[in-house]
Amino acid sequence: MAGNIYSKPVLFTIVSAIVILIGTAVTMFIPMLTPQMHPRLENLKPFTPLQLAGRDIYQREGCNNCHTQTVRPLKTEVMRYGEYSKAGEFYYDRPFLWGSKRTGPDLARIGGKYPDAWHYRHFEDPRSLFPQSNMPSYGWLKERLIDPEEVRRHMDVLNLPYTEEEIENLRGKTEMDALIAYIQSIGTAVKRRPVVKKAVVREVELKNPLAGDPRAIARGRDIFMEHCAMCHGDDAKGDIGPSLVDDVFFYVEGDLPDDDYFEVINNGTFEGMVEEGRTAKGGMPPFGEELGKDEIWSVISYIRSLKEEGR
Amino acid sequence: MNDYSYDNQTVKGFILSSLFWGVVGILIGIWISIQMWNPSWNIPPYFTFGRLRVVHTNGLAFGLGLGAIFGIFYYITMRLTKRPLLFPRLARFHLYLFNVAIALAALSLLAGMNQSLEYAELEWPLDIGVVILWVIFAINILGTIIKRREEQMYISLWFIIASVVAVAVLYIVNNLSVPAGLFKSYSIYAGINSANVQWWYGHNAVGFVFTTPILAMFYYFLPKSTGLPLYSHRLSIIAFWSLVFAYLWTGAHHLVYTPLPDWIQTLAIVFSMFLIAPSWGSVVNGYYTVAADWSKMRTNYLTKFFIFGITFYGLQTVQGPTQALRVVSQLIHYTDWVPGHVHMGTMGWVTMIVAASMYYIIPKIYNTEIYSVRVANTHFYLVLIGQLIYSVTMWITGIQQGALWKAVNPDGTLKYTFVETLVRNYPFWKLRTIGGIIFAIGMVFFIYNILMTIRKGKSLSASVA
Amino acid sequence: MRMVEDFDDIEAFEAKETRDRLPIGWLILFWGLIIWGVIYFFLYTPQFGGWSQEKAYQESVNK
Repeated sequence: MAGNIYSKPVLFTIVSAIVILIGTAVTMFIPMLTPQMHPRLENLKPFTPLQLAGRDIYQREGCNNCHTQTVRPLKTEVMRYGEYSKAGEFYYDRPFLWGSKRTGPDLARIGGKYPDAWHYRHFEDPRSLFPQSNMPSYGWLKERLIDPEEVRRHMDVLNLPYTEEEIENLRGKTEMDALIAYIQSIGTAVKRRPVVKKAVVREVELKNPLAGDPRAIARGRDIFMEHCAMCHGDDAKGDIGPSLVDDVFFYVEGDLPDDDYFEVINNGTFEGMVEEGRTAKGGMPPFGEELGKDEIWSVISYIRSLKEEGR
Repeated sequence: MNDYSYDNQTVKGFILSSLFWGVVGILIGIWISIQMWNPSWNIPPYFTFGRLRVVHTNGLAFGLGLGAIFGIFYYITMRLTKRPLLFPRLARFHLYLFNVAIALAALSLLAGMNQSLEYAELEWPLDIGVVILWVIFAINILGTIIKRREEQMYISLWFIIASVVAVAVLYIVNNLSVPAGLFKSYSIYAGINSANVQWWYGHNAVGFVFTTPILAMFYYFLPKSTGLPLYSHRLSIIAFWSLVFAYLWTGAHHLVYTPLPDWIQTLAIVFSMFLIAPSWGSVVNGYYTVAADWSKMRTNYLTKFFIFGITFYGLQTVQGPTQALRVVSQLIHYTDWVPGHVHMGTMGWVTMIVAASMYYIIPKIYNTEIYSVRVANTHFYLVLIGQLIYSVTMWITGIQQGALWKAVNPDGTLKYTFVETLVRNYPFWKLRTIGGIIFAIGMVFFIYNILMTIRKGKSLSASVA
Repeated sequence: MRMVEDFDDIEAFEAKETRDRLPIGWLILFWGLIIWGVIYFFLYTPQFGGWSQEKAYQESVNK
């Protein structure tokens, strides 16, 4: 049984190397030679110099130790983070940064979810937005400047297109600026998908059924404090996000009807979104997967009650 | 009397070096475990979780793991080939270079030079250093085996050869990159292909650093320290070949439900499940070997290290494949279950066997007995308890996380925000820190025992001279 | 440091009378996993069994 191979070390080494390499060839090496492993989405854009500088910082700080960058095609996961990841989204990622642990949330769809100002505040002090967060503070990135020539070298190595102007514009940019530029680019090649609760949106009443209901207002206040105050301020007079008690809506004077409020809270806003002829700039995340219909109406009742008070 | 001597100094040097890096790695492990529930323990820029975690994993995998493997493999190879190392001076150089490389590796990772490939974070200049280290090791080990004075190669040597070959291929292929300056490079692989290459490496680095080398030690030191011959030679042959064949197909089980093509994922799941068989081949072989005389568990203090170690290996190799299954992966992937799984392997299996091997080697080198069996027993129970606390708390909180992420209200909305799912980890993460501290105290007992044995051996040889 | 070294006798490492044994339980495990693997591979490979993770996702959403 034993055979002679166990007394011939050179032969043994060669045979064991072949045995080891069979699985390698089938699952890794041969697929690499086929186009299915190198897909590219039509509207995927290469990194700009600022975004690449940010990605380098993302790697340097080991962000991938706590954050993944891939949404699995599972119902609740898509609800929580957004459209599941597509193979063609990662064409320019060298290497991929999918990570393996979600100590913090997945970031595959973070691009455009919040406005830049939100990220500046969050990096500076994560606990100012989420008191129980365990993320380290990265305010010190604001003190450090990007070296444009280094970024140029990196762009050249990766063979990515850039203009002299883009390199020149890096001067004076901080590491924080770069990191946020990168964060805002992640996952934007795929259109933001509508909230899964489509059914709810279709059935939605045009008028708030809970308008003026004191219990709904009280409930809406709690929800507001938990989800909305972080950006619109405790008094709803605006902070990172706009004031909700003035009469300006989407940068135009004049209020909007209840169902538009509902839609904005449910679906969030994104660049180019049009509501009653007004164009949004985007930056508000959708809450439709976290808040039920009654909860959203309650928040609207609360916001309306604040407006009443202001009058 | 032989007309030659084994190079025991190099063996001892590697063992002590690996213990030193082990202490560093474990202390950093405790530190980052505290950062998980108390962010004020982050000290930017060098000592944030994102940078320290890679020092922890690299320090223990390469510092403790490889250091122990180098030293113990030199020891085993000399004895199984019945000759000294082919190049004893090269081995000594290997030892110095190893320590320099690990020190530079730790510093470079703290400085943020990081390729973002798990367990292959080191930047390209250090990659070259690691490859040189490995080539030196391979030349010496394979050369010594080729020039051996014993016709047959024992099982341990098979595992050693397979490890040497596999790690070389894995490390070089996964680290191929284009330098962009002295401390920065970009991988030659992109996107889903990069993911596929990385986890082919990532999983098999675990396989050929934490599995096959440890099995080489197990198959050698179990019979040596108990005096019981290995139960079945045939079982070990089948287990060896099916293990090294099947291992390399399984990397993509880390990528279940990612955009990687379905067929690669499925193939990885199939081979992961199959791996239960060869793994349990070794487990069964170990159990039957000691079954010839179970009283060894009481009379020989090392036996329980081997039996508990192989038991955790057995549990690990059932748990791991189970995690690969889609239905399980859905729930526990990306949660703390996974570190719980990894640490049962590293704290329960790897360090148990490595410690037992060192307990065997050090007195042999000095021709003496272990300093204290009682200290060794204390060490054993402390690391056992520490590891169990660690793994069990992480399994519980991992399942909890997975379940909370999926939970929905009757109206179809998500029940918990991410932060709500995060804060429920904190009590478990605190318990985990306690488990880690208990484990570390156990390791202190171990190192004390080793150092006192060396001292005893030195005074003994001095009095003889 | 020169000292007497005991040789490792490879013969002493392995039990004589049981060296060719394969426990039956282990054999069942070994072949069972191979059979399971073949079935699973055909069921869960889009090119053979028709299952794909995207299809499974769509079904779970449309439910």
